[in-house]
Order: sequence, then C-alpha cells, then structure tokens
Amino acid sequence: MTLDPIVPAFDPVTLAIPLFVLTIVGEIILGRLGKVKANYEARDTATSLLMGLGSTIAGALLGGTIALASIWIWQNHRLFEIPMTAIWAWVAIFFLEDLTYYWFHRIAHERRFWWASHVNHHSSQHYNLATALRQTWTGGVAGTWLLWLPLSLVGFPPAMIAIQKGISLVYQYWIHTEAIGKMPRWFEAVFNTPSHHRVHHARNPRYLDSNYAGILIIWDRMFGTFTPEDAAEPPRYGLVKNLGNFNLLRVAFHEWMAIGKDLLSARSPRDVLGYLFGPPGWSPDGSRETSKTLKARWQARQKAAAEAEPAPPMAAE
Amino acid sequence: MDGMVIQLIGSAIAVAAMVALAAWARIARPVAELDTAAVARLLADDYPDHPIDHVWIAADGQGAIARSGDMALVLSLLGDSWVARDLPWDRALASPVRAGRVRLRLGDPGAPVLGLAVSGVRPWPPAQFQEAIAA
Repeated sequence: MTLDPIVPAFDPVTLAIPLFVLTIVGEIILGRLGKVKANYEARDTATSLLMGLGSTIAGALLGGTIALASIWIWQNHRLFEIPMTAIWAWVAIFFLEDLTYYWFHRIAHERRFWWASHVNHHSSQHYNLATALRQTWTGGVAGTWLLWLPLSLVGFPPAMIAIQKGISLVYQYWIHTEAIGKMPRWFEAVFNTPSHHRVHHARNPRYLDSNYAGILIIWDRMFGTFTPEDAAEPPRYGLVKNLGNFNLLRVAFHEWMAIGKDLLSARSPRDVLGYLFGPPGWSPDGSRETSKTLKARWQARQKAAAEAEPAPPMAAE
Repeated sequence: MDGMVIQLIGSAIAVAAMVALAAWARIARPVAELDTAAVARLLADDYPDHPIDHVWIAADGQGAIARSGDMALVLSLLGDSWVARDLPWDRALASPVRAGRVRLRLGDPGAPVLGLAVSGVRPWPPAQFQEAIAA
C-alpha cells in the first residue's frame, strides 16, 4: 500500500462536516427537550458559525502557502525517512503533533501577538458545539503554523502532518459542550474532555491560562498548567473583557485593532515589544490586568476570606 | 473551484438552518430582571474589589451604570449575556443622550460604545447622582 506523502488521502475536517451539523442540531433539540444542558442564543450561534465559515475561506486563501512551506522543508531538508505506512510513525506523530499543539495553544494564550488571532475562539459567552466552530480568520497571518514545520524537518511527510492536525481538530470539536459532565476517571486522567475544556474557556480568575491540551491532557499535567473543574465554581465563559456586540469584523480583528492603538501610544522599544509579545493585558505601567494579576488578586481574596472565617471549635477531650 | 463554491453555498445554507433552529428552540439563558442587588452581583464578577455607591438602571432594564468611587461601572446586555466595562465617572456623567440612549464611549476596540436606554422616569444623569455631586 502506498500513500501520497504530499497530498493527504483525506481531510478529517471536511469528512466531519456532516457530523458537526448533525451534532449541533442534536444538541439544540436535546437542549430544547430538557434532556441535556445546552444554551443557544441565536445571534451568538450565528456569530460562531459564520466565524467558522469565514475561517475556512481564510484557510483556503493562505493554506497553499503554508502547505508549500511544509513540502519544501520535507523535500529538501528532512533528517529521516519516515514511512507513512508504518504504525510506529502514526503513533509518533500522534504524540508529537499533540505536543506541538499544546505549545501552540499555550503561546496563543500567553503572548498577545498570537492571542490576537486566537481570542475570537474564546469570545462567546456560551459553551456549546457551535462555539467549537468559532475559529480564527488570522491564524495564517499570525504564523503559528511555523511551529509544525519541525515535524517536516524531522521527516514526517506533509500529508501525514495534515491528516494528524485534522484528526486533532475533529477530536477537539466534541469537547465543546455542557451536555457531558465527566467522562470515566481513567479517560479524564489521560484525554482532554468537556470538563477540562470548560475550564479552558472559563473567565473565572482561578481558571485562567489552564488546560491548553489538544487531545491529551497529560501535557498540562506535565507542564503545570492543569486545573480541574470545581463543581463549587461553575465556569463563566468568554473573555476577561467581553465584546460589546456581535459584529463579525470586531470579533475577528478587535485585538489586532487594540494592538495597533497601543503601538501608536508606545514611547520606547520596550513598550513596543511589551504590547506585541507581552502577556495579554500587559501595559508599561502595569495598570492593566493580566491573567497573572487577576489570579493573584483572586488568591488574595480567597486568603482574606479564609482568615475572616471563625476558627472551628476545639474538639472536647 | 466550482466544488469549493458549491461547498461554500451548502455551508451557508446549513449555517442559516442551524441559526433558525437555535432561534426556534428558545434555549437562551434566562435573563434576570435588573435591580440594585442583581447589578451588584453581576458587577462583582468583573469588579470584585469595587464597592458600589449608587446604581442607575436603564429604562428597558437591559443595562446599568454603577458608581464606584471615581469610576463608573457599566453593565450592558448582549443577547442573553452581560458585558461589563468601566470609565471615569466624570466622563460617564458627561456622556451624551441620543435617540433615547446614553452613549458611553469606552475607547476599547472590543466595545467602543455601549448605549443604555433612558426615559423621562429614568433620565441620565439621574437626580440622585447630581445631588451626590452637588453635595
């Protein structure tokens, strides 16, 4: 059996489109019948789905260039010959692509330049299957695809990388739901789940910058970014500063506009670098809030509340 | 190319159908009626360290402005969810009323302007705030 190393034999995302439609319809109907927890607001749903549609157009416009970069590196500079038909090769790319995704996702949250392209995915205050399709229009421009080029350099054929990236995207679709509470304990320990990803989409200070996983949650556990969902504090979804309207252009570009505005006020190279590559919320005088400061204040409030509570009575001897 | 256009048209039809279904299902979150306690509770999510001095609720109940020291904390309903922002109190007081809405300019690309409904019964700025300022 031979597989074309350049052109993917199939595109998992395209194949999954009917599944996306059917499951969204199912989630809405089951929500309507009160069988599962699901909230849909029509304009929010329209924004999510139209962002998804726009993302496929943006992807088609830049996808060729990105694919060419991967092909060029693989054809001219690959270090090893990796056969597409070997099971070990698929196991290896499963782990390596997922690790790459973790770091892409972490950078996309913790550095503003890349957050500007990813923020739209988090801009819904709802968490449902339609939210999963609220995808970026500017990911290609932001250049996060460069992180996957080392896989081509190692020797994984471009088609193999494309297929595994598609599998990862399709996996991540189903975890955007409140309809599923917790999966079996062993599954929650290893895989990214609706519970883990609800935490990732939450704006509660305690949950910020957590659970960057694609398929395997083990990376968050390994690199210290895992936060479990706490039943006592349900996630509130959306952004630290939620958007003021449903305008698609605002959803897609607001953070880029904010960066541009800040750069116009920059007074030094340090300011420029901070506004571009600092954490979201960075400002020269520290007057704005970052995830770190929000978390620190939340921890201080928790500590103060615990200290204010009266001590439990001593047990009688 | 033709295949892509057909796929795009098909996707657009599917999007329209799913949005129509979501509207039909009426499973948006219930929006609680705003009163002073609800405003304080909602603002506490975004401004937990800001005690609230006074609250003004928009005429349609879909927004509020709360004074917290020299800041105005603004709540505005978007769909079935709330958007919160702040601006200097003086700027909020001076915000113009046009077409029955006080228009609060925030200078934030994510929410450049929030407009809240005013009425004869609930004008902006309300008398209690003006009295507080005069005092």
